[in-house]
Amino acid sequence: MKVASLDFLALLRTLVEHGVDFIIAGGVAAVLHGAPITTFDLDVVHSRTPGNIEHLLSALQNLEAYYRGQGDRHITPDTSHLASSGHQLLMTRFGPLDLLGTIGADHGYEDLLECTVGFEVSGLHLRVLNLETLIKVKEETGHEKDQAVLPILRSTLREKSKQ
Amino acid sequence: MGDGHPEPGTTDNKPEGPLKASYTTEDGVDLTLIRWMLSLTPTERLEVLQQSVRSLARLCNEGCLT
Repeated sequence: MKVASLDFLALLRTLVEHGVDFIIAGGVAAVLHGAPITTFDLDVVHSRTPGNIEHLLSALQNLEAYYRGQGDRHITPDTSHLASSGHQLLMTRFGPLDLLGTIGADHGYEDLLECTVGFEVSGLHLRVLNLETLIKVKEETGHEKDQAVLPILRSTLREKSKQ
Repeated sequence: MGDGHPEPGTTDNKPEGPLKASYTTEDGVDLTLIRWMLSLTPTERLEVLQQSVRSLARLCNEGCLT
Protein backbone atom coordinates (compact mmCIF):
# COMPACT_ATOMS: atom_id res chain seq x y z
CA MET A 1 0.00 0.00 0.00
CA LYS A 2 1.31 3.45 -0.91
CA VAL A 3 2.27 5.51 2.13
CA ALA A 4 -0.01 8.52 2.26
CA SER A 5 0.95 11.80 3.85
CA LEU A 6 -0.84 11.63 7.19
CA ASP A 7 -2.66 14.87 7.88
CA PHE A 8 -5.65 14.65 10.24
CA LEU A 9 -6.40 18.34 9.95
CA ALA A 10 -6.58 18.18 6.13
CA LEU A 11 -8.89 15.16 6.37
CA LEU A 12 -11.18 16.97 8.79
CA ARG A 13 -11.13 20.17 6.74
CA THR A 14 -12.17 18.27 3.61
CA LEU A 15 -15.11 16.64 5.41
CA VAL A 16 -16.22 20.00 6.85
CA GLU A 17 -15.83 21.83 3.54
CA HIS A 18 -18.07 19.24 1.84
CA GLY A 19 -20.76 19.75 4.47
CA VAL A 20 -20.48 16.24 5.93
CA ASP A 21 -22.23 15.68 9.28
CA PHE A 22 -19.94 13.54 11.41
CA ILE A 23 -18.71 12.89 14.94
CA ILE A 24 -15.04 12.32 15.69
CA ALA A 25 -14.48 9.13 17.69
CA GLY A 26 -11.50 6.90 18.43
CA GLY A 27 -7.92 7.99 19.01
CA VAL A 28 -8.19 11.48 17.52
CA ALA A 29 -11.17 12.19 19.82
CA ALA A 30 -9.13 10.92 22.76
CA VAL A 31 -6.21 13.21 21.85
CA LEU A 32 -8.51 16.23 21.45
CA HIS A 33 -9.71 15.54 25.00
CA GLY A 34 -6.09 15.51 26.17
CA ALA A 35 -5.24 11.80 26.28
CA PRO A 36 -1.55 11.20 25.50
CA ILE A 37 -1.97 8.42 22.95
CA THR A 38 -0.97 7.88 19.35
CA THR A 39 -3.19 6.79 16.52
CA PHE A 40 -2.68 6.31 12.82
CA ASP A 41 -6.22 6.75 11.53
CA LEU A 42 -9.17 9.10 11.84
CA ASP A 43 -12.38 7.42 13.06
CA VAL A 44 -15.66 9.20 12.38
CA VAL A 45 -19.29 8.21 12.84
CA HIS A 46 -21.21 9.71 9.94
CA SER A 47 -24.87 10.58 9.55
CA ARG A 48 -26.43 8.04 7.19
CA THR A 49 -29.17 10.24 5.78
CA PRO A 50 -29.31 10.25 1.95
CA GLY A 51 -28.27 13.91 1.81
CA ASN A 52 -25.25 13.41 4.03
CA ILE A 53 -24.15 10.32 2.12
CA GLU A 54 -24.11 12.46 -1.03
CA HIS A 55 -21.88 15.00 0.70
CA LEU A 56 -19.68 12.21 1.99
CA LEU A 57 -19.29 10.63 -1.45
CA SER A 58 -18.24 14.01 -2.81
CA ALA A 59 -15.68 14.44 -0.01
CA LEU A 60 -14.36 10.90 -0.57
CA GLN A 61 -13.88 11.62 -4.25
CA ASN A 62 -11.85 14.70 -3.34
CA LEU A 63 -9.84 12.59 -0.87
CA GLU A 64 -9.25 9.87 -3.51
CA ALA A 65 -10.53 7.35 -0.98
CA TYR A 66 -10.42 3.60 -1.54
CA TYR A 67 -10.67 0.49 0.63
CA ARG A 68 -7.51 -0.48 2.49
CA GLY A 69 -6.20 -4.04 2.26
CA GLN A 70 -7.28 -4.75 -1.32
CA GLY A 71 -3.81 -4.81 -2.86
CA ASP A 72 -3.55 -2.81 -6.06
CA ARG A 73 -7.30 -2.83 -6.55
CA HIS A 74 -8.64 0.60 -5.66
CA ILE A 75 -12.23 -0.21 -4.72
CA THR A 76 -14.23 2.85 -3.76
CA PRO A 77 -17.18 2.92 -1.36
CA ASP A 78 -20.65 3.49 -2.77
CA THR A 79 -23.97 4.69 -1.35
CA SER A 80 -25.00 1.26 -0.03
CA HIS A 81 -21.70 0.87 1.85
CA LEU A 82 -22.05 4.26 3.50
CA ALA A 83 -25.70 3.65 4.37
CA SER A 84 -24.83 0.46 6.24
CA SER A 85 -24.04 0.17 9.93
CA GLY A 86 -20.64 -1.36 9.10
CA HIS A 87 -17.14 0.08 9.21
CA GLN A 88 -15.54 1.31 5.99
CA LEU A 89 -11.75 1.22 6.36
CA LEU A 90 -10.38 3.58 3.75
CA MET A 91 -7.07 5.02 2.61
CA THR A 92 -7.09 8.61 1.40
CA ARG A 93 -4.50 11.07 0.11
CA PHE A 94 -4.27 12.40 3.67
CA GLY A 95 -4.03 9.01 5.39
CA PRO A 96 -6.32 6.30 6.77
CA LEU A 97 -9.96 7.22 7.37
CA ASP A 98 -12.44 4.88 9.06
CA LEU A 99 -16.11 5.66 8.42
CA LEU A 100 -18.18 3.99 11.12
CA GLY A 101 -21.92 3.46 10.59
CA THR A 102 -22.32 2.51 14.24
CA ILE A 103 -19.96 1.99 17.18
CA GLY A 104 -20.06 0.02 20.44
CA ALA A 105 -23.48 -1.51 21.10
CA ASP A 106 -24.93 -0.27 17.80
CA HIS A 107 -24.81 3.49 18.47
CA GLY A 108 -25.31 5.58 15.34
CA TYR A 109 -24.78 9.27 14.60
CA GLU A 110 -28.21 10.40 15.78
CA ASP A 111 -27.95 8.46 19.08
CA LEU A 112 -24.51 9.85 19.77
CA LEU A 113 -25.16 13.52 18.99
CA GLU A 114 -26.23 14.28 22.56
CA CYS A 115 -22.99 12.69 23.79
CA THR A 116 -20.72 15.08 21.92
CA VAL A 117 -18.88 18.30 22.65
CA GLY A 118 -17.92 21.02 20.23
CA PHE A 119 -14.25 21.78 19.60
CA GLU A 120 -12.79 24.65 17.61
CA VAL A 121 -9.65 23.37 15.91
CA SER A 122 -7.76 25.64 13.50
CA GLY A 123 -10.97 27.45 12.63
CA LEU A 124 -12.98 24.23 12.15
CA HIS A 125 -16.06 23.58 14.27
CA LEU A 126 -15.92 19.88 15.12
CA ARG A 127 -18.29 17.54 16.96
CA VAL A 128 -16.30 15.17 19.15
CA LEU A 129 -17.60 12.24 21.17
CA ASN A 130 -17.34 13.17 24.86
CA LEU A 131 -14.76 11.35 26.92
CA GLU A 132 -17.32 9.53 29.07
CA THR A 133 -19.01 8.04 25.99
CA LEU A 134 -15.68 7.26 24.34
CA ILE A 135 -14.82 5.19 27.41
CA LYS A 136 -18.27 3.54 27.46
CA VAL A 137 -18.06 2.59 23.77
CA LYS A 138 -14.60 1.08 24.22
CA GLU A 139 -15.88 -0.91 27.22
CA GLU A 140 -18.79 -2.18 25.12
CA THR A 141 -16.58 -3.15 22.21
CA GLY A 142 -14.38 -5.35 24.35
CA HIS A 143 -11.52 -5.56 21.85
CA GLU A 144 -8.10 -5.96 23.44
CA LYS A 145 -6.76 -2.89 21.62
CA ASP A 146 -9.64 -0.86 23.09
CA GLN A 147 -9.15 -2.32 26.56
CA ALA A 148 -5.46 -1.39 26.43
CA VAL A 149 -6.15 2.32 26.13
CA LEU A 150 -8.91 2.44 28.77
CA PRO A 151 -6.62 3.16 31.77
CA ILE A 152 -5.25 6.25 29.98
CA LEU A 153 -8.73 7.48 29.05
CA ARG A 154 -10.06 6.98 32.58
CA SER A 155 -7.04 8.79 34.08
CA THR A 156 -7.51 11.65 31.60
CA LEU A 157 -11.16 11.94 32.62
CA ARG A 158 -10.17 12.04 36.31
CA GLU A 159 -7.50 14.70 35.69
CA LYS A 160 -9.94 16.79 33.61
CA SER A 161 -12.52 16.68 36.37
CA LYS A 162 -9.97 18.22 38.75
CA GLN A 163 -9.53 21.29 36.51
CA MET B 1 32.18 12.13 40.48
CA GLY B 2 32.72 11.12 44.07
CA ASP B 3 31.33 14.36 45.51
CA GLY B 4 28.28 12.68 46.96
CA HIS B 5 25.94 14.07 44.28
CA PRO B 6 24.25 11.71 41.85
CA GLU B 7 25.33 12.05 38.25
CA PRO B 8 22.75 13.38 35.82
CA GLY B 9 20.79 10.57 34.24
CA THR B 10 21.36 8.07 37.02
CA THR B 11 18.47 6.47 38.84
CA ASP B 12 19.38 8.54 41.91
CA ASN B 13 17.80 11.51 40.16
CA LYS B 14 14.46 9.76 39.66
CA PRO B 15 11.71 10.45 42.16
CA GLU B 16 10.86 7.47 44.30
CA GLY B 17 8.33 6.39 46.88
CA PRO B 18 5.42 8.75 47.56
CA LEU B 19 6.72 11.37 45.12
CA LYS B 20 6.85 8.89 42.27
CA ALA B 21 3.39 7.65 43.12
CA SER B 22 1.93 11.08 42.36
CA TYR B 23 3.34 10.91 38.82
CA THR B 24 1.76 7.60 37.85
CA THR B 25 -1.46 5.76 38.56
CA GLU B 26 -1.56 2.25 40.04
CA ASP B 27 -1.90 0.79 36.55
CA GLY B 28 1.14 2.71 35.34
CA VAL B 29 -0.48 5.61 33.50
CA ASP B 30 1.88 8.61 33.30
CA LEU B 31 -0.05 11.55 34.77
CA THR B 32 2.62 14.05 33.77
CA LEU B 33 1.83 13.41 30.10
CA ILE B 34 -1.91 13.78 30.71
CA ARG B 35 -1.38 17.04 32.62
CA TRP B 36 0.87 18.33 29.85
CA MET B 37 -1.71 17.47 27.17
CA LEU B 38 -4.49 19.07 29.21
CA SER B 39 -2.45 22.28 29.40
CA LEU B 40 -2.61 22.56 25.58
CA THR B 41 -5.45 23.78 23.38
CA PRO B 42 -7.28 21.19 21.21
CA THR B 43 -5.47 22.53 18.14
CA GLU B 44 -2.11 22.10 19.87
CA ARG B 45 -3.07 18.56 20.96
CA LEU B 46 -3.80 17.63 17.35
CA GLU B 47 -0.47 19.13 16.30
CA VAL B 48 1.30 17.02 18.95
CA LEU B 49 -0.39 13.90 17.53
CA GLN B 50 0.58 14.76 13.96
CA GLN B 51 4.15 15.53 14.97
CA SER B 52 4.31 12.28 16.93
CA VAL B 53 3.11 10.19 13.99
CA ARG B 54 5.41 11.97 11.52
CA SER B 55 8.35 11.62 13.85
CA LEU B 56 7.72 7.88 14.26
CA ALA B 57 7.34 7.47 10.49
CA ARG B 58 10.63 9.30 9.92
CA LEU B 59 12.32 7.11 12.49
CA CYS B 60 11.02 3.95 10.80
CA ASN B 61 12.03 5.16 7.33
CA GLU B 62 15.52 6.04 8.46
CA GLY B 63 15.74 2.78 10.37
CA CYS B 64 14.95 0.86 7.21
CA LEU B 65 17.78 2.56 5.33
CA THR B 66 20.53 1.61 7.78
